[in-house]
Amino acid sequence: MNALISTAVFGIFLMISGLFIKSKQAIRILAISGVVAAFVLNIIDFRQYGASATELFHGMLSVTNFGLLFIEIILGCVLVYFLLSGKDLANIGHYTGEYFALIFFILCGVVLAATYGNMLMLFLSIEIMSIPQYILAGSDKHNLKSHEASLKYFLMGAFSTGFLLMGIALLYGATGSFDITTMNLAGRPIDAMALAGIILIAFALAFKVSAAPFHFWTPDVYDGAPTVVTSFISTIVKVGGFVAFIRLFHIAFGSPDVDKHWLLVLSIITAATLIIGNVTAVFQQSVKRMLAYSSISQAGFMLFAVIAMNVLSWQGILLYAAAYSLATIGCFAILMKMKDYTYDGYNGLAQKQPLLALMNTIFLFSLVGIPATAGFLAKYFVLSAAVEKGGLLWLVILAVCCAAISAFYYFRLIWAMYFKAGDCQVEEHAITPAFKSVLALTALLVIILGVWPGLILAWI
Amino acid sequence: MPIQNYIWLSIALFSIGVIGVLIRRNAIVIFMCIELMLNAVNLLLVAFSKYHHDASAQIFVFFIMVVAAAEVSVGLAIIVMVYRHTKSVDVNILNRLKN
Amino acid sequence: MSLPTILFWILAVISILSAIGVVVAKNPVHSVLLLIVTFFTITGFYILLNAQFLAVVHIIVYAGAIMVLFLFVIMLMNLNASGEPQKNNLVKFAGVVAGGLLLIVLVAALKKADTGMLIQGSTNIGLIQNLGKVLFKDFVLPFEVSSILFLSAMIGAIVIGKKD
Repeated sequence: MNALISTAVFGIFLMISGLFIKSKQAIRILAISGVVAAFVLNIIDFRQYGASATELFHGMLSVTNFGLLFIEIILGCVLVYFLLSGKDLANIGHYTGEYFALIFFILCGVVLAATYGNMLMLFLSIEIMSIPQYILAGSDKHNLKSHEASLKYFLMGAFSTGFLLMGIALLYGATGSFDITTMNLAGRPIDAMALAGIILIAFALAFKVSAAPFHFWTPDVYDGAPTVVTSFISTIVKVGGFVAFIRLFHIAFGSPDVDKHWLLVLSIITAATLIIGNVTAVFQQSVKRMLAYSSISQAGFMLFAVIAMNVLSWQGILLYAAAYSLATIGCFAILMKMKDYTYDGYNGLAQKQPLLALMNTIFLFSLVGIPATAGFLAKYFVLSAAVEKGGLLWLVILAVCCAAISAFYYFRLIWAMYFKAGDCQVEEHAITPAFKSVLALTALLVIILGVWPGLILAWI
Repeated sequence: MPIQNYIWLSIALFSIGVIGVLIRRNAIVIFMCIELMLNAVNLLLVAFSKYHHDASAQIFVFFIMVVAAAEVSVGLAIIVMVYRHTKSVDVNILNRLKN
Repeated sequence: MSLPTILFWILAVISILSAIGVVVAKNPVHSVLLLIVTFFTITGFYILLNAQFLAVVHIIVYAGAIMVLFLFVIMLMNLNASGEPQKNNLVKFAGVVAGGLLLIVLVAALKKADTGMLIQGSTNIGLIQNLGKVLFKDFVLPFEVSSILFLSAMIGAIVIGKKD
């Protein structure tokens, strides 16, 4: 488990480096090299672990090549995030080294979420992902909205942790084990206690990935947190939550005589998430808030991977993680360069910064799901997984309608950039050639993944 | 002593904690109600530990305590930060400022 | 009724009443003190359940550290004057109904769960020797990983708590 060790060690390293290194630039470069190192070290792990699970540390971790591939995707997205937005992250406040250290600790939690084999590790991974987020959300100490975001996120997160623990306790009472593979719910009449536990865990995890009706904290938190932090918590951490969700529900609760009990609940949650996320996003005036609601609606699509439970859904969540994270990180990176976060602030961007406008268009196309972008294939995979599962056709039709609604608010931004005359205010000095080239590479990656998904899927 | 008694008790404590989170506005009291919820879970786990004759649930309780301690330090720091700027620990701080 | 059963019911009544007190008390200091009472009754349950080591740790960590931290913060802010703005009654009523529904649903669901009896007499799984063996053999990875959690909490307390 090189990824676990390297992210933890680099986190500690960066935490201490704040003491000795005063230059923000140097710390940023250190962090980028840390992610590159973890990326390379994780590739080395691929030779050791196959498609069947390898149990490590007395069953605490159960490593598969799916988990490693997911970690690889996450590390790649974090690399892009650091390259695009690392400067903004370094400039939130005085504690540059600490911010990067917290990001690495969150990565550690994501690694555990992709490989846990025991309920205790699930709980710890969710907490390791959450606690640094509360801190990062409140790191803009002169902005009251950031305080509100942090307080709200903290109270809501701790509240949902209570539900997660209650669920785990009830499940333990019914089965006598915390191990997700030996829980053995299948093959005997399911008991009411286990069922109550499963439902409570589903609610708590839906809360963590901001699925409706547990999404109400999301807009305020995403809007209030510093934009660079929102970019991180709405992408990397959210898909980290999804991998924990999908692994638990497929491995522990996935057998046919268990899943009939929770499938309907999760289907309703999915439908509610799609409708509420997309319909509310239409009415937003601020692009940052629109992206917050769009992340709720994208969570609805990712939930399809959880309820479909077949090979396609595992492939779908991998593609979705990459497509959604890359496109959203790109959108936020451009948003951070704007002085006005409303739609009108984007008016006339195409004349002023044609490259930025073009890249933003590609990212938005991917979020809508236009063919030849990664977002299209990701949506195609998760929806066809649901079709293959059967009995979910109503949900698939609803999802397609919602994708059409989502085109409205994404295209509104494109319309503002290209067809509205205006004088948008951009932070010119921050748009360096390096930033532009990384942005272009990210957009290229979005298109390459859309044409050739084998780049990711060949590894599984 | 049937295990059911402990289940009822901890569910009751858990629900009281949930009600507290929903009806109070003072962030510190809400946080205390969350601690109450976690303790209800701890009690349930210890009861199940005896029921199944298995020590791992007691270890789980340790880790819940560990996480609760970490959460308290972060949470109280956040509450103190909010208090410093608004002189209030009301959870609807922005609503309060608008009035 | 045997002595443990009598003790259970006495402790149960005290813990439920003091938990309700935590929620309804107007003064936050009273809430803290009532919560400490609840924690002591929970310690009593741990002893009844033969989790002796956990009982001691629970007192040290919760009553000794966490609640003292709460008291410090409350006194630092001088909140004992009960000036908390109240939620309006409709919201309160909805909150109580929601919590009550959760209770009813859970009770109804678990009523059908198979009932077992706790084994009479003492077991030694809650002793420090046994727990130590399990913790450092099977659960050594979570033990190490929780250090990351503490590190991030430590960073958080400094980043958030320090004045700029």
